Amino acid sequence: MVIAEERVVAVIMVGGPTKGTRFRPLSFNVPKPLFPLAGQPMVHHPISSACQKIPNLAKIYLIGFYEEREFALYVSSISNELKLPVRYLKEDKPHGSAGGLYNFKDLIMEEDPVFYLYLSISYMLANYLVLVICSCSCSCSWGSSYFLLQSHIFLLNCDVCCSFPLPQMLDAHKKYGGMGTILVVKVSPESASEFGELVADPVTNELLHYTEKPETFVSDRINCGVYIFTPDIFTAIEGVSSQRKDRANLRRVSSFEAMQPDSRSLTANYVRLDQDILSPLAGKKQLYIYETVDFWEQIKTPGMSIKCSALYLSQFRHTAPHLLENGDGIKKACIIGDVYIHPSAKVHPSAKIGPGVSISANARIGAGARLINCIVLDDVEIKENAVVIHAIVGWKSSIGRWARVQGRGDYNAKLGVTILGESVAVEDEVVVINSTVLPHKTLNVGVQDEIIL
Amino acid sequence: MKALILVGGFGTRLRPLTLSVPKPLVDFANKPMILHQIEALKDIGVTEVVLAINYQPEVMLNFLKDFEEKLSIKITCSQETEPLGTAGPLALARDKLIDGSGEPFFVLNSDVISEYPLKEMIKFHKSHGGEASIMVTKVDEPSKYGVVVMEETTGKVEKFVEKPKLFVGNKINAGIYLLNPSVLDHIELRPTSIEKEVFPKIAAAKKLYAMVLPGFWMDIGQPRDYITGLRLYLNSLRKKTSSKLASGPHILGNVIVHETAKIGEGCLIGPDVAIGPGCIIESGVRLSSCTVMRGVRIKKHACISNSIIGWHSTVGQWARVENMTILGEDVHVCDEVYSNGGVVLPHKEIKTSILNPEIVM
Repeated sequence: MVIAEERVVAVIMVGGPTKGTRFRPLSFNVPKPLFPLAGQPMVHHPISSACQKIPNLAKIYLIGFYEEREFALYVSSISNELKLPVRYLKEDKPHGSAGGLYNFKDLIMEEDPVFYLYLSISYMLANYLVLVICSCSCSCSWGSSYFLLQSHIFLLNCDVCCSFPLPQMLDAHKKYGGMGTILVVKVSPESASEFGELVADPVTNELLHYTEKPETFVSDRINCGVYIFTPDIFTAIEGVSSQRKDRANLRRVSSFEAMQPDSRSLTANYVRLDQDILSPLAGKKQLYIYETVDFWEQIKTPGMSIKCSALYLSQFRHTAPHLLENGDGIKKACIIGDVYIHPSAKVHPSAKIGPGVSISANARIGAGARLINCIVLDDVEIKENAVVIHAIVGWKSSIGRWARVQGRGDYNAKLGVTILGESVAVEDEVVVINSTVLPHKTLNVGVQDEIIL
Repeated sequence: MKALILVGGFGTRLRPLTLSVPKPLVDFANKPMILHQIEALKDIGVTEVVLAINYQPEVMLNFLKDFEEKLSIKITCSQETEPLGTAGPLALARDKLIDGSGEPFFVLNSDVISEYPLKEMIKFHKSHGGEASIMVTKVDEPSKYGVVVMEETTGKVEKFVEKPKLFVGNKINAGIYLLNPSVLDHIELRPTSIEKEVFPKIAAAKKLYAMVLPGFWMDIGQPRDYITGLRLYLNSLRKKTSSKLASGPHILGNVIVHETAKIGEGCLIGPDVAIGPGCIIESGVRLSSCTVMRGVRIKKHACISNSIIGWHSTVGQWARVENMTILGEDVHVCDEVYSNGGVVLPHKEIKTSILNPEIVM
C-alpha cells in the first residue's frame, strides 16, 4: 500500500523600502505589499488564493527587507483569520531573488511538529508502523506499505496581480515531474521586452529558452513571477553559489572581466532566479511552463493599483460576490459595475459609485458625489457633489464640495492618474488633474500635470 | 526667563529635506535651524525653552536631550494634538510659561533667521510699559505679507493689514515677540491666529508696540529663501565674528566650513557657501551660493551653484548642479550629469541629466 502525503509551502517575496521608489508617495505611509486593492492588502490576494485553493498548504512565508514590525500586525491577524501559520522573514542583506529563498531554506523545509503527530498517529493507526522523518521526498517500507512525503514550494511575487491558478499549476507540475513549473502569460509583442521572455515546447511544455528583458523579440510568452518548485531548487541554488566561489578561488579575475558589471557586483551568495537558475536550466528537461489565459498585471506604480484593484473586484463577481456592493440610488447609493465599500464607510444614497471603485474604512461620501475608477482610503471625507475619477485619495484626506479630482487613466505613466497622499485637503470647487500631491498639503487653487511637494 | 518657539507642522515647503528630518532640525549654516534660536535665547539668560510642536515629537525629543546637556538650558515640548494656529500653542503651554514671577516671555517663529537683538528688545519692552512687543522688519514687497501699521516715533501699533493692495507701510511682522503673562488671558485653547485675533485686540487697547529689527531677517521656510538667508547670515557673521568664516587662496567671499570637512586641491569655494561635517570636496570643485550638508561627497571637477545638497548625497565627477537644485538625503548624481533645478526626493540615483526644473520622486 502506498500512502502519499503532500506538503505545500507558499513563499511570497514582498520586496523592501529602498528598492522601488516608484510607489511613492503612497509608500511613504504604508509598505507597498500592504496597500489595499479591492479592500484587502496587496499581499492578501496571493495569500488567500493559496489558502483557499491548496488543500495541503502547511504554511506561508513572506520574505522581504521591511522591518519586522511593519508586518507584525498583519501576519498575526491573518494567521488567526485563516487558521494557518503566516510568518514574515526579514532578509538581513540582499541575496538575489533565488538567494533569498535559499537563505531561509531550513525554515521553509521545516516540518510542523503537529503535522508529525498527525502523520505518526494516522500511520500507526493504519499499519502499526513507525514513521521515518524526512525533509524531502523519500520512501520507506515496513512490511507491505510505502509512504511518500512530497514537498512543493510555491514562490510568488507580491506585486503580481492575477487569478493565481495554483491548484492547476500544482497538478501540471506533478505531471511534468520536473524541478519547477513557471506560470506564463501571453502579452503583446511590443510589451514583452519589459519582462522575462520564455520559449516552451508546445507539446511537452518544457522550458526551452529563457531570457530577461531582451532587446530583440524572442517570445510573446512572459514570466508571471509565480513558480512552483520541488526541494531540488535548493540544490540548484547551492550549485550556483559554489560554482561562483570556485571560479573566484581558481584564478584572479582579469582586469577586463573585473570591469564587466556582472562579475564586479555579485558575491557568491547572490543568486538571481532569472539569470542564474531559469536561463541556464532551460532546455535541460528540468523546468516546465503552465500558461494562464486569465488577467495578469504587475503593480509597480500607484496608477496600476487602481487598475489591479478593479481587476480583483471583477474577479470577486465570480469568487466572492457577497463582497461587492449593490444599490439602486433609492435606499443605498447607486452602484455601477464592481464596487467594494467597507462596512464602516458611509455613502449618501444620492451618490453614484463605480465602476472600479474601492472605498476603505470610515470613509464618508457626501450627497451627489460621483466616483469612478478610484481607490478611497481610510477616514477620507468626500463632500457633496464632488467628482473623483482615476484617482487615489489618501488616508484622512478631504475633498471639498463641487471639487473635481481627476486623472487621465494612463496607469503606467508618471502623472497618468491623480494621487492625493495622506491628509491632503482639496478645498471647495478646486480642480486637481493628473497631479500627485504629497501628504499634508492643502490645495486652494487648481493644479494640473504637477507634483506638489 | 522663558521662551516659546512655534515649531508647528510638517514643513512641506522645505521638502524634500523635511522628508528626512523635521524642519527645525534641518541644518542652516552647519547648525540645526532651531539651535540658532535656542542659542540666542540662552545668551540673554533664558533658562527654559518650550517647543510647540505637532509633528514627530520622538525625533525632536531625542535631539533635545543632546542639546539640553551641551547648552545647559531646559528644553521641553508642548505637543498639539490638533493644529492650534499661531496663538493657540501659547495657551496650551500656559503652565510652562507662567511661573508667577510676572516676567515677560519670548515667542519666536522657528522659520526665522535674524541677528536676534533680544537684549535690546527687553529694554524696549520695559521702556514703553505696554503688554506686548513685536519685532518688525522692513521689506521691499510688503503686500506679500501682513503689514504692521505703527507710529514711527513710539512704535505704538495702530493696526495689522493682511496683504494690503495699496501701500500702507513697509514693515512686516518678523515673528519675534516679547509678551507679558497677561497676554495669555486673551488666548483661548483653540486654533487661533496671533496676527488676526490676538494682536489686533492688544493694539486696540494701545498696549502693543513694535520695534524695527536691526540687521538682516529671512523666513527660511522654503529653498529659495534658505539660500538667500545663508548669504545674509554669512554677511552678518563677517561683521561680527569673521574668525568663524573660512579663509585661504581657494575661498571667495563668505564661506563657512566645518572643521571635519576636507577640501581638495584646486577648488574655488564661495561666495555664500556652507560645508557641513564630514564632507569631502575633491579637487577641482567649484561651489558658490550653496549648502552642502553632513556627509556629502562632491567628486572631482564638479560645479555647484544656487543649490542645496542633502545629507550623505554624492555629486559625480564633472557634474554640474545649479539653479535651485535641491537634493534630498542619500541622492547620488552620476558623473557628468547636469541638473538644472532638479528637486530630488531621498534615496534616488540621477543617471541622466535634468534639463528643466523637475521634481524627481
